[in-house]
Amino acid sequence: MNTIVEVRAVSKSYGLSQVIRNLSFKIKEGEIYGLLGINGAGKTTLMKMILGLARIDEGSIYVMGQEVRESSAFLSNVGSMIENPVFYEHLCADEILSMHLSYMQKKGDIAQALRLAGLERAGKRPVSQYSLGMRQRLGIARAIIHHPKLLILDEPLNGLDPVAITEMRELLRKLAKGGMSILLSSHIIGEIRQSADRIGILSEGCIWQEFSAAEKADLGEDFENYVVSFMRRKEHGNV
Amino acid sequence: MEMYKLELKKIRLSAYLWAVLGIFASLLAMGILFLFLGSSTSEKEELFASWNGLAAMQTALTVAFFSIFAAVLAAKMIVDEYCGKEVVLLFSYPVSRRRTLEQKAVILVGFTATAAFVSNLLIMGGMYLVAEMFGITPKLLEMQFYNGFIGGAYFSFVISVVASSFMAGILSSAIGVISAVAGWKKRSTMTTIICSFIIVCFVPNFIAGLPGHALLIMILVSAFFILAAYMMYQALAKGIEEMEV
Repeated sequence: MNTIVEVRAVSKSYGLSQVIRNLSFKIKEGEIYGLLGINGAGKTTLMKMILGLARIDEGSIYVMGQEVRESSAFLSNVGSMIENPVFYEHLCADEILSMHLSYMQKKGDIAQALRLAGLERAGKRPVSQYSLGMRQRLGIARAIIHHPKLLILDEPLNGLDPVAITEMRELLRKLAKGGMSILLSSHIIGEIRQSADRIGILSEGCIWQEFSAAEKADLGEDFENYVVSFMRRKEHGNV
Repeated sequence: MEMYKLELKKIRLSAYLWAVLGIFASLLAMGILFLFLGSSTSEKEELFASWNGLAAMQTALTVAFFSIFAAVLAAKMIVDEYCGKEVVLLFSYPVSRRRTLEQKAVILVGFTATAAFVSNLLIMGGMYLVAEMFGITPKLLEMQFYNGFIGGAYFSFVISVVASSFMAGILSSAIGVISAVAGWKKRSTMTTIICSFIIVCFVPNFIAGLPGHALLIMILVSAFFILAAYMMYQALAKGIEEMEV
């Protein structure tokens, strides 16, 4: 399998506070990589660095073989949803997706993307009238409509109901099966366990432990307890 | 062209067109008021009693109104977008940051300059029609500076109105760009608008202060503000290129 993302010994500071420290990991083609970490662990910063939104102080990041610092051309093959999705509130879903495709200079099926995200009945209503869950779904539709090779989703389950969470998990599986690589972050350990092939626990800017699919399966239902106790120990400085 | 259309889609252009119409109507009403005011004031009141004074006053007001309009548009198109959450989305696209900013600036300058130019010309035309209808005859001052170049007083006045209207458009949009940079620096749309208010507290006074030399003053003031806007725009473009979100 090809490597889609390669993070090599990356560090990042904001002022005196070091947010990412000498972090390295890889994401393979068609793989779902889950990032777990408490608030402030550096998940969002790491995702922003992969997208070229935040400067890399040390180290390098390669996306589809291209160094992130060199050009933004790789972004046409990346779909992303960082923090809460933002929209131009007076536009409707169709217009937002059409605008996105124009910016990405790609073609895509708007109706299919809306159907996949469960928004087929959104109609021509402006986004300002959407609920939190609908906005989240539209954010996901926008991230996948241009058939990216890499999908970066920061807390994509925020505001989704249990049915939508299940649908989202199925959608991510389907996309990964089609060859899309996915980097996913969440606070919900159970959800990451079910969705991701590999999981990295991010704390104080480092990936402290990585779980392969087999290791995850070995821990089974105890995975959640294991992660929570690890995070607690980390918080109290016992790791 | 496609990218310009996208930028226009992001703002509700119709709201800004209505704003331009509103400004035009207000300025026209004021122009007509000044016209009547001039007909009943003493000979010494050059500002209201001469076409040159009325044109200078009207151009000064056009600059004031459209500078604030430009700042509001810049606050929406530039400050809101680069200082708000939309920037994460905007920077996630494979398009040059400098190029996107350029498109925004072209729309801001083009829209403001055209609106101010057309509005000022139509207002002056409207005032002329009203003057004809009501038999008001403001005097026409000798414009010695221009007469040497372009012939008689009437013709040189018309030319100076067209040129002043053009400069008013350019000056308003330059003030809009300067305000946008100030707003971006402070990460505040309010600063953008306040900055334009502060500038229009001074600039229109220069224009209306010497009615006989309004065009010359317009050229000098515009040159200064265009240079300032260009330098500040370059700083903004550099800042946005290096910006982290």
